[in-house]
Amino acid sequence: MSNDVVVELEGVRKCFGPRVIFDDVSLSVHRSEVVAVIGPSGAGKSTLIRCINRLNTFERGVIRALGHEVYGTEEGKPALKRDELRELRTEIGMVFQTFNLFPHLTVMKNVMLAPQRVKGLSEAQATARALELLEMVGLSHRKDAHPRQLSGGEQQRVAICRALAMEPKVMLFDEPTSMLDPELVGDVLATIRRLALDGMTMILVTHEMMFAKEVANTVVVMADGRIAEMGPARQVLSAPKTERARSFLERVLPHTDGGGVTDVRTHPQDQGGPIAGPIDSIGGSALWSREADEEELL
Amino acid sequence: MSAIALYTGEMLDGAVITLELTAGATVVSLVAGAAGAVGRLYGPKALKTFVMAYVETIRGLPAILQLFILYFGLTQFGIDISAYWAAFVWLCLYGTGYAIEIFRAGLQGIPEGQHEATAALGLTRFEAMRRVIIPQAWVAMLPALTNFVVLELKNTTLLYFIGVQDIMFHARLGVSNSGQPLVVYGIAAGIYVVMNGTISRVGGLLEKRAAIAR
Ligand SMILES: Nc1ncnc2c1ncn2[C@@H]1O[C@H](COP(=O)(O)OP(=O)(O)OP(=O)(O)O)[C@@H](O)[C@H]1O
Ligand SMILES: [Mg+2]
Repeated sequence: MSNDVVVELEGVRKCFGPRVIFDDVSLSVHRSEVVAVIGPSGAGKSTLIRCINRLNTFERGVIRALGHEVYGTEEGKPALKRDELRELRTEIGMVFQTFNLFPHLTVMKNVMLAPQRVKGLSEAQATARALELLEMVGLSHRKDAHPRQLSGGEQQRVAICRALAMEPKVMLFDEPTSMLDPELVGDVLATIRRLALDGMTMILVTHEMMFAKEVANTVVVMADGRIAEMGPARQVLSAPKTERARSFLERVLPHTDGGGVTDVRTHPQDQGGPIAGPIDSIGGSALWSREADEEELL
Repeated sequence: MSAIALYTGEMLDGAVITLELTAGATVVSLVAGAAGAVGRLYGPKALKTFVMAYVETIRGLPAILQLFILYFGLTQFGIDISAYWAAFVWLCLYGTGYAIEIFRAGLQGIPEGQHEATAALGLTRFEAMRRVIIPQAWVAMLPALTNFVVLELKNTTLLYFIGVQDIMFHARLGVSNSGQPLVVYGIAAGIYVVMNGTISRVGGLLEKRAAIAR
C-alpha cells in the first residue's frame, strides 16, 4: 500500500451544545484504504464522517483531507472559506442512510445535476458519465424513472452513482444498507465491494460486520465518546483487544463466544480467495468474493 | 329587465378592476413573499425579526382596519393617494404577509437531507435553491398558492369601503336603484364564482402537471 494519507483527523472534538459527542479522535486514512466505523447507536459514527465533509462543524482539532486543512471552530484558528469548503466537498462523495435522492428529478438527472452545475460538464458529457455509472450498478434500464419508482436498494445504488459522478477521491458511506430490506442489501454491498476493488478510498459506517470484515482494511470501534479500538479489520473483529470493543461486538454478534466474530469462512486470507487480480492491489488485504454468502440471503 | 342588464354590465366593468387589482397584487405579493421567506429563514437575525413582526402584524390585525389605517391614515398625513392605489398597496402588503408564510412553510417542508445532499455534492446555495429546493417546494405549495389567489380576490370586496369601483360597488348601486337585491347580488355572486372557479381550475391543472413531471 502506498503510504499517502488522504484523510487525517487529529484530536478532533465534537459537541452538540454542551454535550461532548466525542473527543480526541485521531485517525489516518490512506489512499485506497477502506475504513469501517462501527459502534453502538449514538456513539457519534455519523457525526464523525459528517465532520470530514463539514456537514457538521467540530470544536477542536484539525481534519486534513485531500490537501485541505480544516480546523475546529476554536478561537484563533483560521475559518474555512466558503469556496474552499465547496471544493473540498466536490472531492468527497457521500452516501446517506436515507439515500436523499432528488425526488423531482429522474435517475439520470439526479446523477447529472452536480457534474453539470458544479463541474460545468456539457449535457452530452454528463449524460455519458451518468450512463456509464448506471451501467456499472446495473440500473441503466431505470434511467428515466423517478426515485419513488425504485426500490430502496436501487435508490441507494443511484445515490452512489450520483456521488461517483463527481469523481470523488474519497467516499463516505453512512450506514448505506441499514434502511434496506434484507434481500436488497446484497446489491448495494456488491457495488461498494466493486469500488473497493477499484481502489476507492472509503470510510464506511456500517452495522454489517461480516461485510466490514471482508471489505475493510481497518476497523474503528467508536464508543463512549472516543475511539475504543482501531486496527486491522480481521484482528479487531475476531480478537478485539479492548474490553469496550469486545462487549460491543458480543452484543451485535450474540452467537459468538466472547472472542468477537467467529470466522466461519474457509478461505484463509493469504491464499487470496476465489477472485484474482485487482484484490492484490488493495493493500494486500483480505478481500474475496462473498457472492455465495449473499445468495443465501436472497 | 334592461336595468338589470345595465347593472350587470357595470358589475362586469367592476370585475375588470377586481381582476386587475388581484393579478397585480398577487404578482407583487409572490415575489415579495418569496424574498421575505428566504430572509426569514436564511437572513441575518435583524431581518428575521423584522419579517416575523411584519407577518404577525398582517395576520393579527383585522383586514378592514389595516385598509382604513393605510387609506385614511395616509390622507391625514397629507399624502394624497387615490382609493385605487391605496387599495393596490394594501392588497400587496396584506398578500405579502400571507405569501411569506406559504413560502416559509413550503421551503421548511423540504427535508434536511435534501439540503445535505446538495451541500455534499458541492452545489452553491443558489444552485441548490434553484435546482433542488424551490422546484420541490413549489409543488408542495401549489394548493396553498391557489387558495392564496382566491383569498386575494375575495379581499377586494373590502375595497368597497374606501370607494373603489369594483364588483361590490356596482352591485350595491344596482340594488339601491333597482330594489332587487336577490337578482343583483345573485349576478355578482355568479361573477365571483366564475372568477374563483377559473383560478381553482388553473391551480388544479398546475398541480396535475407538477404531479406528472415529478
Ligand atoms: N443535530 C444534532 N443536534 C444535537 N445532537 C445531535 C445532532 N445530531 C446528532 N446528535 C447526537 O449526537 C450523538 C451521536 O449521533 P450520531 O448520529 O453521530 O450517532 P451514530 O453513532 O451515527 O448512531 P446510529 O448508529 O444510531 O446512527 C447522538 O447522541 C445524537 O443524539
Ligand atoms: Mg448514524
